[in-house]
Amino acid sequence: MYCNLICNASMKIENTKAQMRKGVLEYCILSILKSGEAYPSEIIEKLKAGKLIVVEGTLYPLLTRLKNAGLLSYRWEESKSGPPRKYYQLTKIGEEFLKELETTWDDLVKAVKLTRKAK
Amino acid sequence: MNQTVTVNISGIVFHIEVDAYEELKKYLNKIKSYFKNSEGCDEIMTDIEARIAELFSEKITSDNQVINSNDVEEVVGIMGKPEQYLDEDEEEQQQKEQNSSNQKRKPYRTAKKLFRDPDERMIGGVASGIAAYFGINPIWVRLGFALTVSFGFVTYFILWAIIPEAKTASDKLQMKGDDVNIDNIGKTFKDEATKISDDLKKNGQQYGKKAESILEGFFSFLLQIFNGIFKVLGKVFGVLFIIVGTFWLVGLVGMLIGSETIFSITSDGIFSIESSDFFNLIFVSENQFHMAMVGIMLAVGIPIITLLYAGVRLLFKIKTHYSIGLGLFIFWIIGVAMCGMIGIRMATELTQDESVNDVEVISDEIDDFYISANTDENPGEGILEDRYSIISLDEDSIYINDIKLNIYKSKTDSMELKVIKSSSGKSRKDATNNAKMISYGYAINDSSIFLNNFLATIKENKIRGQQVRMKLYLPVGKSIYLDRSLKRILYGIENVTNTWDYDMLEEKWVMLEDGLTCLDCDDIDGVTTSELDSIRLYEPIIEEE
Repeated sequence: MYCNLICNASMKIENTKAQMRKGVLEYCILSILKSGEAYPSEIIEKLKAGKLIVVEGTLYPLLTRLKNAGLLSYRWEESKSGPPRKYYQLTKIGEEFLKELETTWDDLVKAVKLTRKAK
Repeated sequence: MNQTVTVNISGIVFHIEVDAYEELKKYLNKIKSYFKNSEGCDEIMTDIEARIAELFSEKITSDNQVINSNDVEEVVGIMGKPEQYLDEDEEEQQQKEQNSSNQKRKPYRTAKKLFRDPDERMIGGVASGIAAYFGINPIWVRLGFALTVSFGFVTYFILWAIIPEAKTASDKLQMKGDDVNIDNIGKTFKDEATKISDDLKKNGQQYGKKAESILEGFFSFLLQIFNGIFKVLGKVFGVLFIIVGTFWLVGLVGMLIGSETIFSITSDGIFSIESSDFFNLIFVSENQFHMAMVGIMLAVGIPIITLLYAGVRLLFKIKTHYSIGLGLFIFWIIGVAMCGMIGIRMATELTQDESVNDVEVISDEIDDFYISANTDENPGEGILEDRYSIISLDEDSIYINDIKLNIYKSKTDSMELKVIKSSSGKSRKDATNNAKMISYGYAINDSSIFLNNFLATIKENKIRGQQVRMKLYLPVGKSIYLDRSLKRILYGIENVTNTWDYDMLEEKWVMLEDGLTCLDCDDIDGVTTSELDSIRLYEPIIEEE
């Protein structure tokens, strides 16, 4: 999210929302792959359903980054309707990383619930 | 009817309409430039192209074999424009910057870069870009340019060429630098925190203890101070380079294009040149003249531009391409080579020196002579003046003040004035011709000799080192009075008392067997008038014997 001259209040809210979404995006991608391998279009479908991303272009750099970090690996598979597809899956490191993220997420959710109730 | 082109996307062939193709190409280039600096750019591009190919494949049916611009627009809508996924990448870029610059970055402020601002521009966006860099209103920068007229004009175009335009969204953000607000502070703080924790993990607990030591803190403080001093010095030199460079550039352009006096160091003329006229008189042809102009422009101008460029680089962080430096260097070499070629051509123009002589025999009945010179200024307008000679010009002639007179003892008893006109040229014939074309005026009237203080030649002959040397042969026993007006013309006259040329003026000198002798000089031992009379009476007798 960027604004050309001076960020106004609504832009700031948008920005915060984007930051929040961004934080959980990687976690969600890993979660999707937990249940088995998938190719980008499938991942996109699920993310779009959750309104986590709007455009598909966002996903590709993320996948590349996760793969380069050693959390994901992929294999090629021929497709009937187009070029060969990359099927992504979690590596061992990826699985461990995801486990850690899950605990962190649970803690965060608890913390948020607590602070909300405290109000 | 629409023309189509065939493209290969990820190994699949598509027929695509021309305008749709242009649109797709533009889109892909935009993404590519966006990911240019990211790790794994090629891989991301391949993935995105593969997805586009997949989406296109879904569009192709047996009825519709061609991709049109609607299809492209739809796909772009699905994939999204780079601006729409800026936020994901921003963080990554910042992390990379942090890794490369290793904590040297100022806290809570992203690095600014100088760009031309296309949104606020009046001409090229230079002023608005500079204004954005310093966070001021562009009107002040524009006023600055306007007030310095030609100076600012030249600088403006140089800056226009050097400073890149802010094309992408991230350029524009960098142009202004991020504002210091809650979001940015929070974000940067988070980055710093994760970075420090990473470092701790990497280097173990010991590093952590070390980092906290007072000594470490002190040294990093010193380092920061030195950094600051160097930065300030850099900026000062940058400003200096730009000011000096701009002055020189204006001077150079003025010298080569304008017709004003280029150099005039003192009023009594150590060296002053009127440019275009002067060059015209030196060079053989128009082509040679233009070539010399371009040569000088490149050979002298490029170092000046390099200086300006260095100044701008010191002042602002701008991205540059090595080819700029290489290009400048090549052009400079070309300029130097052109000057060298012209120099060689000019040298051959002046290889031969030749002279022609006129000998005037002056009446031997008169004993006492009076010699003087014209003291008028050269006709026409002066174009070059130095301590020794003045060159001036009118509509069709060149006037040169290179006239010298020397006095010798005559071997005969007749008095002679030998006028030697000489000149250089590319061949002996050419030089002789140039010498013949010199016209020099003098008058001998009974006992008085009158010399002109300049020679003249027509413009077509050019300036080729023309000069006039005169030798006055004075027989023993005859005298000559040297008028004050000969001041610039007398040259190394030998005399018995070794008196300087300048001190010989306004005195009567007589030629004796020993050489020239002053008769009336107070402080010099000379012969008296009565002695001279006896010499005159005596000598003819010797001759007769």
